[in-house]
Amino acid sequence: MSTLTDTRPATARSRGPLHGLTWLVWRRNRTAFLLLAAVTVVSCGYCLYHRAGVLDFVAQYGNTIRYSEKFEKAYKEVFDRTYDLSYLPALLGIFLGAPLIAGEQEHGTVRLATTQSVSRTRWIAATVGLPLLAVLVCTTLISLAFTALWTPANQLVNYGDWLGGTIFDITGPVPVALALFLTGCGMAVGMLVRRVVPAMLLTLVVTTGTSFVLDWLRPRLATPHTATGPASGDFPAIPDSAINFDQWLGTADGRLLGWGTCVDAKNEAACQADQGIVHKIVEYFSLDQMAGMQWRGAALLLVLTALIVAFIVQWTRRRPL
Amino acid sequence: MSEAIAMEARELGKKYRRGWALRDLSFRLPAGRVCALVGPNGAGKSTFLGAATRLVRPTTGTLELFGVPVTDPAVLPRFAFLAQDKPLYKRFTVAETLRTGRELNPGWDQAAAERIVRAGDIALDAKVGTLSGGQRTRVAFALAFGKRPQLLLLDEPMADLDPLARHELSGLLLAEAAEHGTTVLMSSHVLADLEEMCDFLLVLAGGRLRMAGDTDALLPAHTLLTGAAEDGALPRELTEGCTVVEHRVTGRQFTALVRSEGPRAELPDGPWETAVPGLEEVLLGHLRPSEAPPLITAAARPSTPLEAA
Repeated sequence: MSTLTDTRPATARSRGPLHGLTWLVWRRNRTAFLLLAAVTVVSCGYCLYHRAGVLDFVAQYGNTIRYSEKFEKAYKEVFDRTYDLSYLPALLGIFLGAPLIAGEQEHGTVRLATTQSVSRTRWIAATVGLPLLAVLVCTTLISLAFTALWTPANQLVNYGDWLGGTIFDITGPVPVALALFLTGCGMAVGMLVRRVVPAMLLTLVVTTGTSFVLDWLRPRLATPHTATGPASGDFPAIPDSAINFDQWLGTADGRLLGWGTCVDAKNEAACQADQGIVHKIVEYFSLDQMAGMQWRGAALLLVLTALIVAFIVQWTRRRPL
Repeated sequence: MSEAIAMEARELGKKYRRGWALRDLSFRLPAGRVCALVGPNGAGKSTFLGAATRLVRPTTGTLELFGVPVTDPAVLPRFAFLAQDKPLYKRFTVAETLRTGRELNPGWDQAAAERIVRAGDIALDAKVGTLSGGQRTRVAFALAFGKRPQLLLLDEPMADLDPLARHELSGLLLAEAAEHGTTVLMSSHVLADLEEMCDFLLVLAGGRLRMAGDTDALLPAHTLLTGAAEDGALPRELTEGCTVVEHRVTGRQFTALVRSEGPRAELPDGPWETAVPGLEEVLLGHLRPSEAPPLITAAARPSTPLEAA
C-alpha cells in the first residue's frame, strides 16, 4: 500500500471564506443562493437605471400629485415590474426556507451531517443562519434600490398611494423583515413536516395567510391623524401626500356616524340637523408616519422571526443529542 | 491497567411511546475488536446505534465511547457512522462529498479517502446520484474512514450489495480497520459475514442483551446435545444440571443447546450425544425467546461502579 510513502498532510484544509460548515451550507443551497444573487443584481440594476429618468421627470415637473397621470403614462410599466418584488419574500419562504431542513430529513442526510465532528448546535446554527444572512443582505440591497427609485417620486408613483398597495411592503425595512420571517416560517414548517413538497405547499398557505394578516395590520400600525371641519362644508382637506383612511360625521355630543349617513337624504342639511351632526371628520395617515409604521411592522416581524429561529434551534437540539 | 475500552454501556435504556426499545443494556467492548451486533428485527439494534451516534437520546443509563460520554460533543470526532441507507448528498460530486468530510472533520485523511474511492474505479467528478449501490457504499465508506475514527459504527453495511461488492467491501473494511486499529461495530443479519469478519458478539433480542463477548469465548461455552426425549420433554438431569438456552423435541428425539460455563462447567452425563455448535446455532439459540439468563463473558462485563470510581 502507498500509505507508508504518502507524505501528504492528513489535513489539507482549504482556506478562504468558504470552509467548514459555511462551505457545506453554501454548496447545498448553491442554486438558491445564486438565483437570489442574480435577482438582487438585476433588481438593483433595474431600479438604479430607471432612477435617472425618474429624477429627470421630477426635476422637470416636480414631485406633486398633479403630474401623477403624466408620470403613470411614462413609468407605469417600469413600476408595475418592480411590484413583482412583493412576491420575493413568499418565494424565499417556499423555495429556500421550506426545503432547507426538510430536504436533509427526507433524504436522511441529517444523520450524515450531524455525525461529523461538528456539534448539532453549530450545524443547525449554520444551516439556519447562513441562508437568513443571505436573505438579509439581498433583500436589504433590493429594498434600498427600490426605495431610492420610489422616494424622489413618492407623490407620483401609484398616484401617491404608499399604504394600500405594494409600495409599503417593498420599501424600507418591511421587505427585509417579511423575507426573513417567511424564510424562517418555511424552515420551521419543513422541519416539522420532514417532507419537501408538503412543506412547500404548507409554506405557501402560511405566506398567503401572512399577506391577509398584513393587509389587516397595516393601518393599525399607527394612530391616524384627524382633520375636523364644519358639517356644512366639504370634508376637510388633507395634505396631498397623506392617505385618507376613513371619514366620519361627528355629532355635538361626540358620537361618530358613518360618512354616508345623509347621502341618500333629500335635504342633506336637514338630515344632518336631524341627526345632530356638526362636524365632518377625516382620519388620515401622513407621509411622515410611514417610516414609523414600517419600522413597527418590521419590528413585529423580526421578533416573530427570532422566536421561530429560537424554536428551530431548540427543537433540533432537544430531540436527539 | 487492562486494555482500552472502546465502548461501555451501563443500564442503557430507551423508551418510546410504544414501550422500551432498549433496556438495561450493560456491556463493554474492548478496543480493536470487530464486533457484530446481532438481533432480530425490532431487537433494538438501530436504537442502540442511534444512541451511540447521538441521534437518539437515551432514557436511562450511560454510554461512553473511549471514556467520553456520548452526551459530550467531544465524542463526535471519535466515531464514524454509516447508516443503513448510506445517506449522501445526491447532487454532490464524489469530490465534493469527500470535501464535506474534510471541511467538517479536523482529523480528516484525504489520501485514505481518495484511495478508497479510486480503488473502486469511481471518478471523483461523478455525481453521487448517478453511482450504483456498491459505488455509493464505497463512497460512504471513504467518508467514514477519511474521518479517521477510533470506532466505526455500521448499520447493516452490506445489506443492499451484490455478492461481489459485498466481498470487496468487507475486505476493504477489514483491511482499513486492521491498518489503523479501528474498532468496528456492525449490525448484520448475514451470518456468513459475521463468521468471517467478527471476533466479538453483541446479541440483542427484545431490547435486551442476550449475549456479549469474544466469539472465541462464547462458542466453547456451548454444547449441542442430541438424545432420546423423556415423555416428549428434555431429560430432567439436563434441565437441572445446566443452562438450556434452547431445545426442540421432534418425535422421540431432542436437540438442545446448553451452556456449560461457571461453577458447573461439567455437563451432566447421560445417554446423549454431544457436538460442538457453530456460530449459527449459538446465535439462533439466543435470538429465539428463551428463559436462559444472558451470557456476558468477562471481557464484555462493564466495570462495577466501585471499580470505576
